Order: sequence, then structure tokens, then C-alpha cells
Amino acid sequence: MIFDEVFDVIVIGAGHAGCEAASAAARLGANTALLTLNLDLIGQMSCNPAIGGIGKGHLVREIDALGGIMARVIDRTGIQFRLLNRSRGPAVQAPRAQADRTLYRVEMRRTLEATLNLSLRQGLVTDLLVVADRICGIELQDARRLGAKAVIVATGTFLNGKIHTGRQTYAGGRTGEPASTELPAALRRLGFPVGRLKTGTPPRIDGRTIEWDAFEPQPPDVRPVPFSFSTHEIEQEQLNCYLAYTNQELHEKIRANLHESPLYSGAIQGIGPRYCPSIEDKVVKFPEKTRHQLFVEPEGFNTNEVYLNGLSTSLPAQLQQEIVNLIPGMDEAQIIRPGYAIEYDFVDPRELSPFLETARVKGLFLAGQINGTTGYEEAACQGLIAGINAGLSAIGRPLFRVQREESYIGVLIDDLITQGVDEPYRMFTSRSEHRLALRHDNADERLEPKGRELGLVGDSEWERFNQRRDGLAKARELLSATKLRRTDPAYLDMAQLTGQDLGDSITLTQLALRPNVTREQIVELLPSSERAHLRPREVETALADYLYAGYLDSQNQASRRLRQHDALSIPETLSFKAVGSLSHEMIERLERMRPRSFGDARKIPGLTPAALSNLLVYLTAAQQAKTTTQSQ
Amino acid sequence: MSFQEDSIVALSTPPGRGGIGVIRVSGPASLSILRRMTTPELVDPEPNYLTLRDVVDPFSREALDHALVCYFKSPHSFTGEDVVEFHCHGSPVLLRRIIDSILRLDARLANPGEFSLRAVMNGRLQLSQAEAIRDLIDAQTDSAAQQATRQLAGEISHRLQPAKEQLLKIIVRLESSLEFVEDDLPKLERHEIERALESLRADFQSLASTFARGQLLRDGLTVALVGRPNAGKSSLFNRLLGHERAIVTPIPGTTRDTISEPIGLDGVPVTLVDTAGIRVTTEEIESIGVDRTRRVAADADLLIVVIDGSQRTNEEDEAVLEQAASKTHVIALNKSDLPAFSNELVHHRARTNGSPTPTVSVSAATEEGLSDLRAAILKPFVNGHRSNEGLLITNARHHDLLLRAMSSIASSEELIRNDASEEIVLIGLHNALRFVGELTGETTTEDMLGQIFSTFCIGK
Repeated sequence: MIFDEVFDVIVIGAGHAGCEAASAAARLGANTALLTLNLDLIGQMSCNPAIGGIGKGHLVREIDALGGIMARVIDRTGIQFRLLNRSRGPAVQAPRAQADRTLYRVEMRRTLEATLNLSLRQGLVTDLLVVADRICGIELQDARRLGAKAVIVATGTFLNGKIHTGRQTYAGGRTGEPASTELPAALRRLGFPVGRLKTGTPPRIDGRTIEWDAFEPQPPDVRPVPFSFSTHEIEQEQLNCYLAYTNQELHEKIRANLHESPLYSGAIQGIGPRYCPSIEDKVVKFPEKTRHQLFVEPEGFNTNEVYLNGLSTSLPAQLQQEIVNLIPGMDEAQIIRPGYAIEYDFVDPRELSPFLETARVKGLFLAGQINGTTGYEEAACQGLIAGINAGLSAIGRPLFRVQREESYIGVLIDDLITQGVDEPYRMFTSRSEHRLALRHDNADERLEPKGRELGLVGDSEWERFNQRRDGLAKARELLSATKLRRTDPAYLDMAQLTGQDLGDSITLTQLALRPNVTREQIVELLPSSERAHLRPREVETALADYLYAGYLDSQNQASRRLRQHDALSIPETLSFKAVGSLSHEMIERLERMRPRSFGDARKIPGLTPAALSNLLVYLTAAQQAKTTTQSQ
Repeated sequence: MSFQEDSIVALSTPPGRGGIGVIRVSGPASLSILRRMTTPELVDPEPNYLTLRDVVDPFSREALDHALVCYFKSPHSFTGEDVVEFHCHGSPVLLRRIIDSILRLDARLANPGEFSLRAVMNGRLQLSQAEAIRDLIDAQTDSAAQQATRQLAGEISHRLQPAKEQLLKIIVRLESSLEFVEDDLPKLERHEIERALESLRADFQSLASTFARGQLLRDGLTVALVGRPNAGKSSLFNRLLGHERAIVTPIPGTTRDTISEPIGLDGVPVTLVDTAGIRVTTEEIESIGVDRTRRVAADADLLIVVIDGSQRTNEEDEAVLEQAASKTHVIALNKSDLPAFSNELVHHRARTNGSPTPTVSVSAATEEGLSDLRAAILKPFVNGHRSNEGLLITNARHHDLLLRAMSSIASSEELIRNDASEEIVLIGLHNALRFVGELTGETTTEDMLGQIFSTFCIGK
């Protein structure tokens, strides 16, 4: 085949998955092209201008530890940082930041343009070029052909995107941008199972038309906690967000006009996320609620545009305007861009390997919303893993995967490829069986050595990592060696504070577990000569380790028992008929799901315990027979 | 070789009354379990040798049985792991108590076929043998005999459904307060959650407490009347039976052989055994009878020591009480209708003995005290209060799971009281849900999330 240009890796789509993918592949040394419909919209936040939150913030920290770019970009462009769940344990705390939408986009493009081996290209992809089940390139609308050893599809909501406002529907990838219809057709031709999902977005308001005093301000943290381990301090100026509420009159208005909503008229077939419902859904499903909370979020420093978080809707534009004016404080507010719902194609992620490569076409990787996920963070971490593996495969290195036990990224990919999706998949901390171990503050300890080994963590970051590791070791040593004794001046105060008997002496690690004791107080109790050398973040991490040490085992107790055989692999060639003693129905279920391991099989709905026992015995015996033959 | 982290225990001889019962333990904790279960403590047993030891309750150190124990050192054992075996007397009640004791140490009940599975994993069984095990698993799950069990499992699942839903509701409440911190959720009332957990645990307790009775209903009890000649054993036997089965005469030593008859006590099937009086005798037939009595006594779940309360206790009474001391027993102080009746001496004895032996005054002639005696027979086997449960737990694994769920919930209650953060409180609750899930079917994360989104309006 003759190509206009040849690359190692081509990334289709420059959203949050595509940017991470292109950056990672290029930095691994693969000659990489990032293709987008519009170079001015690289790293565009299509929905709410915010990154992080519980679960999602964890993902961003992990991306950073592996050497990804999202955390650093948001640290430079975030305009309201908040560490969520401060009153709770460190495992369920996570950073969240409002972004300046424009600054984020500009900073992302700047970052990519500064990346070696990375070329930006504008164009619409119309076909995937596949020879003998292996990808060899792509074709563009303008008939150019680009060759590649690996291709990553990260097209977000653009595949057969269909936008709804009221009864109006039109093709589009985002509002004002064209949809891609040829690429999904190509995927279907290649045999990929494709389904439809739906998501939505609220109206954007002109900030000059809002009575800001009517809302309750939500200030940023005084000392912002950054996403990236490399960020020393947040330098961006910080802003308030505001809380607003709907009222009964507004609810009535929506109920009276439900027939105008494509969600309720049956025009929308795709399944939307339950945790991000439209205002129509909220009003219908929770009729007892007299008001719903809304967040009034400034979009940035250089615009008056305001994002009305919580009012996602696909009602007709004129009706949206009337509804917005019913919100106390928005009587005169004017909508700049109406909200809309969008349906799009996704590929069943059970087609993928843990490396995010498709089983059907070698060298073809999928990342982001095309795999049925929702959220920038979910997309970015898949982009990173797909980019790493596309890069590694192009330069002939062994592929890379992260495990469920060590990261939320591992949880996300494992869930996707073993269970598929019924609705857009979002990360929650409860999806992990190891929540207490997967903290945002120890993502570097968990993953950064892997990022370094891959070659994505640079020398200066690696030095910072090692310094922090030494600092942590020092903090752990000091905290467990230093004791508060009955004779110490501070003893009485601490005993009173905790309301407990502290004995003749107590180590600081033990003291930290007692009620009402803060990190600052613990630090105060350290020898003053040492105190100066310890960084608060390291003390915090060391104390978090001690807090959970006693619970880690019981966290794993019941699930470990359930999962003890999960790693046992099932050969791709195994015919489940050969297992014997399985009913017809069980064989059918197994053949349909084609589990790759016993763990996958265990999660298949409807498999009986007896069928699982049979499979387990068969697999262990087969493995045993194999190792015996090998050792002979 | 792959080793499991947990240790498992099960009865490896067929359930029911046999000559001996073998309890097998496999896994890393085997040796420490052996040490804690024996007296004198078997510290460093020679592998593959049988040793005679008292098997004791690991906490009270009370003797449970006199048994042959054996240690098989890894990898030279059936499963390839450390294994210990207790070759005990075959009484189901006794075997159950020993297994219960082991479960309180670091072991859990084995699933069907689990010993064999471990053997396969550790290369101690070949593929062909594994095929046979698979058939065994099939037989256990598909045979008609299992129908009843499966039906019961369905009933348990049904019975536990509301409790499981309640548990899920509490989890959902705590999880959503963690995950959706920015959403406008109702305030979390910790004491309400604590109360809900308490009542949930009480509910599990209520079902779990039917276990002893459930086992009794399934397996029944063997109760033997023992005592010196002419204390009135056969008269009491007939009264408990409700008809004249044993020959009663005033001549000591009339009963020369054991007679056993089934009776029902409060719905529990009981095999009641009348025995020859225990005394030193030179007469051949009677002495065979006395030997037989000793064997029956050893095999019974409970002994009724019958003492003639109208006479001073003598050496023969003392000897019988001495022999009964190591077993569950009650004393029936007979002939309470006679003017010379007194219970002084026995009371004295019970006090000096440390643990009071249940004693019932009864008259075989007037049937006075007979219902007290009936109650005293069942009492050691039915824990605490009678519950209103229509369903009885008969399967030891089910009982084990309920206890584990209860203890997980209890740990979470403690944490709530101590103001621990939700993610820590939730560990015990998720564990409890998994244990209950083994009875009712697993609850997936998706199920839980579904519950969250249908309960609360989430969506920033």
C-alpha cells in the first residue's frame, strides 16, 4: 500500500484519551501522529469544566505517577481547587479542580507541541486499513493515506453522534462540530459489536445576567492540594463557585412539558448514566424532592460564560430559557449555549485485551468513551495505557498492564474488559476491593517505579520521587520511634484532648489513631531538630499507612477467599464442552462470554456454583498436567 | 506447589453414628490447631504416627474426647499441605463439638470436594483421579438426596432476603455519603445506623441460634439411663416411653441387657436406652450386661444417672457418677414419692464438684417431676431462649457463615461507636454482605450502585 505519510503510531481524536495516548507513545520513542477534526479544540472539555473528585481524582494521581500529563495541565490551569472528603479517612479523599476551559485547552496543546516525535494533523478519518487482521494505517476524507504499525481510536462522542434538543435532532460530535459516520461503519465492517449510549450537558449562561448575591459561595481551599506529584504549588489565581437551587415551580414547568423531552418521547434510544441524570429525570424520579442543588461554575478568567452544573437537559432551547429564569437569582439570566443530549456509538469493551488492544485486529487500540466510559479522567487513563502499549508494540517492546490490586486504572480496565458496560462507566472508590490501599497520596509509591521503568518518568521527577521515598522512610521511622511519656509537658493536654488513658508512654503512630488528634499536633510532638526536615505531605502519607494497617487484612478477608483461584487462566482454545458434566446452558453461557480466567468466569451471571466447581477442577488439573509434563 | 492461606476442617467419615469419626484439618494452621486441641499439648508430633491424647476445648480446656491424633507434614499428606487428623469416638454430638471448637480457631469449614481440590492443586492427585472428584461434586449437587438440602437453601435465602436488603441499605447509605460528597444528600445519622446494625445482628442471631436445635432435629439424640441396680431405671424408662416395655421387679439386676426405644421429646427424635445396673458381679450374664452398659454409656449423647433418693448414696452410686462425669449428664433423683426421700447428698456433691450438675427430683411411681426430666434432657442441646423461627439451620456451613456475618457486623458497630471514618466502618459490612451472599447469592458492585441511584438523587 502506498502512503502519504508513515508513522509508528496514529491516534485518532485529540480529547482527553487521545492527548494522553499521543504523548505517551511519542515519549516512548514511537513516531506518533495525533489526528483531530479541529486543531483548535485539542483537550476540549465538552461537558463540565472540572477534573477530579472521589475516584476520578484518584485516577488523575495515578496517571501522573505513571508519567501522564493530565495532572500537570490541570495544576497549571485550575481555578478552584478543593480536596474532597477532608473530614474522612485519607483513602477516600481526593482532589477536584474547576478548570479554566480555554487555558486548559491552550496548555494541553502547548504540552503536546513541545513533545518530541509527536506530529499534529487535522483531518477526518474515513477508514481503517487492515491487512490480514493487522492494522496498517488509516484513510482520510481528503483521500490521504497514513500508514502506522498501531492505531488508537479515541473518538469520544463523535461516532454517529446524534444531538437532541427538544424534537430537533441532528448529526454532530459535539454541538457545532460534525459527527463521524464513516469510521463507525468501518468498525462495523470489521465485525466489532457496536451499541448506543447517551449523555447530556446543561445550558451555559451569560455571567453578566446573573444576580451572584443570590447564591451561596463555595470558596476554594486555602491551601490547594495539586494533582501532580511534581507540582510544588498551585500558582493560578483561585475563584469561588456558587450553589443555587431549583424550586417547585420549575419542577412543575418541566413536568408539564415532558412530552417535549426526547428522553420521554422515546426519541433517545441510548442508555444514559444514572449518576449524571438530566433535570427531567431528577424531577420525574424523585418527585418528593422540593429542590435540587445546582452549581454555578465560572468557565474561566477570560470569559463571562458560566456552567450551570446539575441542570443537564434536552428540552427545547426556548423552554430551557424559561426554566433557567425560574431559578432564584436567574430571573434575567440569558442562555449563551443551550444544553443538549447526545447519543453515540460505543464498542463492546469485552473485545479488548488488558492492554486495550482489540482481539479482532492486531495493532488496533481503543480508548475512552468508545469503550463505554464517561468522564475525562476515565478517558485519559485509558488513553495513557493504550498509548503506552501502542508505542511499546510499535518499537517492539513487551506490552504493559496494571493490576486491579494496585490501581484504580487496573480496576477500570478489568471491569470493562471482563464485564462490559450497560451504561456509561464511571469510577467510584467502591468499585475497588482494595480501597484502603489505593489512596490518592500513595499513587506515586504504587506506580511511579513502573512509569520510570517504561521511560515516561523523567530524571528530575525520578529524583523528586526518590527524595520523597527517603522522606517517607524517615517520617515512618521518627513517628514510630518517638514516644509521648507521662512526664512530657504535652502529655496532659493530649490525654485531655483524646479523653483517653494514654498509659505511661505512647508512640506517635499510636497516638495519631486516637480521637481528635490532628497531624499538626503529631508534628509538634516530634523532636524540634527533626521537624524542620519533614514535609507535611510525607507525614500525612506515613500516618495514613498506620491508620489503615490494621484493617487491610480484614478488608481482604472475605474477598480473598472468593477470589483465590481468579488468576487461573483459561486457554483461548478451550472448548467448554471438554470440561464435561456441564449443562447445555452453562456451556452456552461460557462460550458466549469466553472468560479468559477463572476470575472472569466467576463474574458471569447465571453460572451455578456446581458449574464453577467443575471448571475449577478441570483448570487446576489441566495446569497440573502441563507443569508435570514440562518438568519431565 | 501452590499453597492456600486459609485452613479448612471437615468430618471426613460419613455423617451419622459410626464406630469412629475422623476430623481432618488441612492448611497452614493445622499444627497450631492440633497443639491447642490436645492435652497434654502435642507440641512437636512425629509425622505419620498416631498418638493417644485428650482432645479438649481450646478455650475452657474441658476434655471433649479421648482420641488418636495424627500429623501429616507437608508435602507428604493427602492435600500436600500440613494436615492433622483426629480419630474420635463416632458420636455425632461429640464430633460436632470438636469441629465447632476447631472453627473457633484459625480454620473454616471446607466446601464440598475442597480437600481433593487442594490435593489436585498441589500435585497430589492426578487428572484421572480429579475426574472422579468432579463426578463426586456432581453427585453432591445433583443427586435426588440433595434436593431437600437445596430446597432448604432456597428457604434460607428467602428468610435472609429482608436482612440482606437492610444490610445493603445501610451500605448504600454509607457509600453514597463517601462517593457523592458534593451532592445534596440527607445527613448521615450515625446512631441510627448503629441501631439498625444491632437489630440486623439480632436477626442473624435468631436464625443462627436454631442451629443446635436444627442439628438435633436432623440427627437426634441417644440418651441412656444408667445407675446402680434397682435405682428405678427401667421404671423411668417405661414412664418416658409411655408404656411398659422394660420388665420391672423389685429384684436388683433384673435388667440384664440394654433395651432401646425411639421416643419424641418436643419434636426431637431421641433413642432412649435402658441399661443394666452397674455393680461388681460374678454372675456371667449380668456381667456381660454391665460391660454392654459401659459401651452404651460411652456412645450416648447424654446420660441420665438414676439415683434412689430414698436411700443414702453408696459407693456404687459414686462410681456411676464418677464414670458419668466426663459426659453430658443429668441426675434423676428417683422415688420422690417416698417419705425417706432426700436430695441433700447429691446437692452436696454437685457443689463440691465445681460445676453444678442439673438435678431433677422425680417419681417413676407418681410421674411427679417427669416433665422436668424431659426438659432437662434437651436443655444442654438447645442454647438459650427458644426463638420463634419457623426455619432451622441444620447445615454447619450455613451456621458458620451466619456467625461470620454477625462478627463482621459487630466489628462495624464498634467502629461506628468510636467515630471511625465510613470507609473503615464499611469493611465489616461488605464482608458481612459477602458471607450472607454465600447463602443468598452474591451482591455485585453494580447492584449496590443501582441501589444508590434509585435511593438518592445523585448528579452534580
